[in-house]
Amino acid sequence: MFQPLDPLLHSELRLAIISLLISAEEAEFPYIKEQTGATAGNLSVQVDKLSAVGYIEVEKTFKGKRPCTICRITPAGIKAFKAYVEALKTYLNVK
Amino acid sequence: MTAERSLEIIRESIERSQRTITKNSSVPMIWWGICVVIFALFIAYLWKNNGGPIWNWLWAVMWLVGYAGNWFIDKKKETIPTTFVGKAIGYVWSTFGVFCGGFGILLGLIGGKILPFDLIMPGMYVFGCITSIISLCFGMGTTITGLIIQNRIIQVCGIIAGLGGFFYALHFPDYRQLFVMACVAIIGLIIPGLIIHVQNKK
Repeated sequence: MFQPLDPLLHSELRLAIISLLISAEEAEFPYIKEQTGATAGNLSVQVDKLSAVGYIEVEKTFKGKRPCTICRITPAGIKAFKAYVEALKTYLNVK
Repeated sequence: MTAERSLEIIRESIERSQRTITKNSSVPMIWWGICVVIFALFIAYLWKNNGGPIWNWLWAVMWLVGYAGNWFIDKKKETIPTTFVGKAIGYVWSTFGVFCGGFGILLGLIGGKILPFDLIMPGMYVFGCITSIISLCFGMGTTITGLIIQNRIIQVCGIIAGLGGFFYALHFPDYRQLFVMACVAIIGLIIPGLIIHVQNKK
């Protein structure tokens, strides 16, 4: 029986963002941009969507004089990612 | 998007994060290795020709030079995320610094007759060879780092440097033990650092 996949995570860029953040405690916006190969505009939109549902938290700060955006996964995000992986297993016939 | 594609994205992202940490660890390893080699050879030269083991105080200068260079490397390298792996590596080398630094300071205070010899080595029953102990700590630090980032080359180099340095340094109670220290730095830091650097360039 297939389990439903979280539509918020079932998008290439949003899934890449969450997967990057699951292995990191926090990551800066330029790092995520470089690793995902997304444009700043598109990445910003997807980060906002994940932030709006509480899967990640976004902190805007300064590094010296430069603005710096730091993204962190939240407990809700970890839970959603785990549920997504579990649901994914049902499509891949993994026990 | 298919389930296979989702799985691929997850795997790629996690692997990429690990590769970034490995890649960024190579330059500091090479840098610290070069610092240790240069200072070991320089101190050995001074020890032999100009007044004995007192020149070991120059290791403190090496830490300062090393940290200044490391700060510069950190500024130039790409931004890396804060990960458990990165933190664990930091803790391993901080522990190494605390133990070896503490040991060096204590021996320095004894050497300068600020602390009595008996306080650390009662009755001289214990023979302390700082190069052996530092080599062992060095090897353990390198091996643990290799285990954390799952790099077999670093693990093997760490074991060779640690055990080889520990036993070999015991044979030389004079300035020659610093040559052992230089070899430990080459095997434990420079060679693995260069291998990782070359691997990441491919």
